Amino acid sequence: MKTTNISRRKFLEKTAIVGAAGIVGASTLRSCKGKKNHQELGLPPLLDQAPDGKKLKAGLVGCGNRGTGAALNFMDAGPNLEIVALADVFEDKVQQCADKLKHYKIEVLSENQFVGLDAYKKLLDVDLDIVLLATPPKFRPEHLKACISAKKHVFMEKPACVDPVGARSIIASSKKAAALGLTIITGTQRRHQRDYIETYKQIANGAIGEITSARAYWLQTHVWFRTREEGWSDMEYMLRNWNNFCWLCGDHILDTHVHNIDVINWFVGSHPKNAIGFGGRARRLTGDQYDFFSIDYNYGNGLFSHSMSRQIDDCANAMGEFIMGKEGFTNCKNTIYNPDGTIKWKYGYPKDKSGKPTNTVKVSPYVQEHIHLVTAIRTNQPVQEAEQTAISTLSAIMGRTAAYTGKKVTWEEMMNSPETLGPEVVEMGDYDGTFEVPVPGKQHKA
Amino acid sequence: MSCHFHPHAEVSWRLSTHSNNHSGVVVHCVECHLPPKENGIGAYTLAKAKHGFKDVYGYLTKEPDEIDWETKGFPETAIHFIYESSCIKCHENLFPASISDKGAEAHLNYQLYPNNRNCISCHIDVGHFDPVAHSKNLDFGLVDMSDKEIYQKATKVVGFVNFNEKIPGTSVSFNMKAIEGGKFILGSPADEQFRQKDEGPQREVELTSFWMGEIEVSWDEYLAFFSATSSQGRKEGEAKQVEEVDAITGATPPWGAPDQGWGKGKHPAITMTHHAAMTYCKWLSQVTGKVYRLPTEAEWEYAARGGNKGTYFFEGEPKDYERQGLVNKLFGPDTTVINSYVVYQENSPERTQTPGFVKANPYGLKNMLGNVAEFCLDYYDPAVYGKYPKGVIKNPRGPRTGAEHVIRGGSFMSSAKELRIANREYTKTKQWLVTDPQIPKSIWWYSDCKHVGFRVVCEYDNKME
Repeated sequence: MKTTNISRRKFLEKTAIVGAAGIVGASTLRSCKGKKNHQELGLPPLLDQAPDGKKLKAGLVGCGNRGTGAALNFMDAGPNLEIVALADVFEDKVQQCADKLKHYKIEVLSENQFVGLDAYKKLLDVDLDIVLLATPPKFRPEHLKACISAKKHVFMEKPACVDPVGARSIIASSKKAAALGLTIITGTQRRHQRDYIETYKQIANGAIGEITSARAYWLQTHVWFRTREEGWSDMEYMLRNWNNFCWLCGDHILDTHVHNIDVINWFVGSHPKNAIGFGGRARRLTGDQYDFFSIDYNYGNGLFSHSMSRQIDDCANAMGEFIMGKEGFTNCKNTIYNPDGTIKWKYGYPKDKSGKPTNTVKVSPYVQEHIHLVTAIRTNQPVQEAEQTAISTLSAIMGRTAAYTGKKVTWEEMMNSPETLGPEVVEMGDYDGTFEVPVPGKQHKA
Repeated sequence: MSCHFHPHAEVSWRLSTHSNNHSGVVVHCVECHLPPKENGIGAYTLAKAKHGFKDVYGYLTKEPDEIDWETKGFPETAIHFIYESSCIKCHENLFPASISDKGAEAHLNYQLYPNNRNCISCHIDVGHFDPVAHSKNLDFGLVDMSDKEIYQKATKVVGFVNFNEKIPGTSVSFNMKAIEGGKFILGSPADEQFRQKDEGPQREVELTSFWMGEIEVSWDEYLAFFSATSSQGRKEGEAKQVEEVDAITGATPPWGAPDQGWGKGKHPAITMTHHAAMTYCKWLSQVTGKVYRLPTEAEWEYAARGGNKGTYFFEGEPKDYERQGLVNKLFGPDTTVINSYVVYQENSPERTQTPGFVKANPYGLKNMLGNVAEFCLDYYDPAVYGKYPKGVIKNPRGPRTGAEHVIRGGSFMSSAKELRIANREYTKTKQWLVTDPQIPKSIWWYSDCKHVGFRVVCEYDNKME
């Protein structure tokens, strides 16, 4: 790893001299006394554009809105990039995606547009370098494994999986990718967001002292759902309404809240050791998931993080993280406070034309991810983020299991759990599974 | 093979993947049997001197056929002369693209819990070829029944007498001894040598009559069950089986050789899980029309005592047989008596034996102590004796729920003190499945327990007469 850092620094210095790309905070490359610098903290290079190089061709698996967005973010990452293939279970999704891409003058040959549950396999036969995975998370472990076997670089959306067996599969694929020199970047965009990254640097270098407690929350209104249409088979209905079935989505504590849990894991520097929590289903209309969770994560040594997630209308909404230290606290995003509440440090956002500071980072984190991906490939500095994302996803699964069962759930149990959700073989047509909403504990007698 | 002294090791090495492989690379003795030089020349030299000295000593003092080569090939012994650091030096990449899903799971677990297992816990056969290791043993349990009588019906029992049970559809039979019910004292007195706390308080117990297997369930018997019920494993991991009267789904094919290559036949069946043993009893009951089950802990102890109140059912105390005390340490204990009744650490050597090796106890039962430890029906609770209601306890069955089950009777690995009749042990499910690379882990076979088997009892019902 040491050599990696040195050579990456050399690359960055070189490009800075040539002026081929702007580098944010070039001064941070030099380490101060006893403080860890950007590279030493394992942070991604914050280029505005990926360097030029041989053409990189990418295929997209999962052509919904996020998938289409990811394809466009990829195209924005730098010069000489191309989307050459699309795959989705449904023809209309592929079509809609191809149409949208056309608006941006991106043409995908019709023979490279694949439909069906095995579309990803056909896509892997196309001559391409990178696969963007943006399907529901249930399919991620299988897809990632196939991509690594085909020796492709990968961008994969979070969450990494929906169950512990899937998490271990992702970790194994990540290790295989490392051995093969392939890059996997994940859609944990906070880790690619410049304000978060600068705040992390401050905290990692002791700005609030030792961390003593944390909080992570994703409290929002209800999310999208589909009611069943005539002519849809059971499987088609579930796939189109995947955001509401646990075996496809993993429940919203993974699907969305994993971002916040991931930030806490990142800042604390480890995953929780165990979890106790609860949740329930109060307002949701379809599927089998909960619409609120409250989990107490124990990171050991007296450090706990309270995690809240909710998808119900007309309740208090909030989204973010909070970390308390012995010498102050932070929102993890852009501000660090002294213990008395006064501001100790604030991230300096870029200014607009009239000189007023904006509140957004210079490069969208969704694009920054792909700049990281392309840079890693073109400078031959492979990066694998899949393992850390699998660990954060498994942290969320531990919380989900604690809420579903009412039991205290440990990390070791998760790492050894044989749980796999959903049918053994996913195929279109009827499905005879039942979708009972989990109820914790045991009924007492009247 | 230079100055070292094990010609047959060269033969098995030449057949192994470290010598005979498609890449043409040959890995020589010292590359596994010494630590890598890169890790420090001091450690390398020291290890070389140690093994060299042992070999010279062995060469001068022993004949090759005096040495138990087989035991040296068990992972727990072999770890003393195969260096993990040397495995890792060459096999740096634990996640090659070609690795199977199960292999990846196992390597992940190895990285997470490095103390749980070594490379050779799973890859014992890579340096010295072993024809039975590591191929899913699909022929396992195929019993040649060609020129033997196939029993059509189970034995009809009239009255409470010893009988020979015949397993219908097979040529397998086994003896059941009638154990007359009665009262006895369960547990050991506080002053018994090497007594453990869970053996008390002593309680008076009354049992109804039952039959008990003369010997531990043999491979012949267990394989009859295996071939009649074996499954492909789709239900693997589902501990709670649906109670189907007509179709009992039995064990999946095992990996490797569950008999450890010690022989099947009348050797006690081993490495099956407690769940598998229970399923065996259920199946045996179904095919014979009788009620077979595992013995309760009280039945087991009653039968093992054979009317005796002492530490063993034969004369002597643990200290007479342990290598403790000056005389025993110097000259070794006089073990003539214990050797005639028990297969244990001092005479086994390191493996099970057939029942002919020992004499029976006063009730005609063989290997109650030693050979293999035996599953009981009861859940294990160290304090259960004190929890039973006051007075004489009738047919106790242990706690209603629990996680692990009682095992009794010591094994070929036990020392004299562990063979005491009252000594209590219990299953260690997690530990016994550490090197099972499957997730979920097998519910039928323990990967890391080869010293436990079981014995059946048959319930006696007056109405049978």
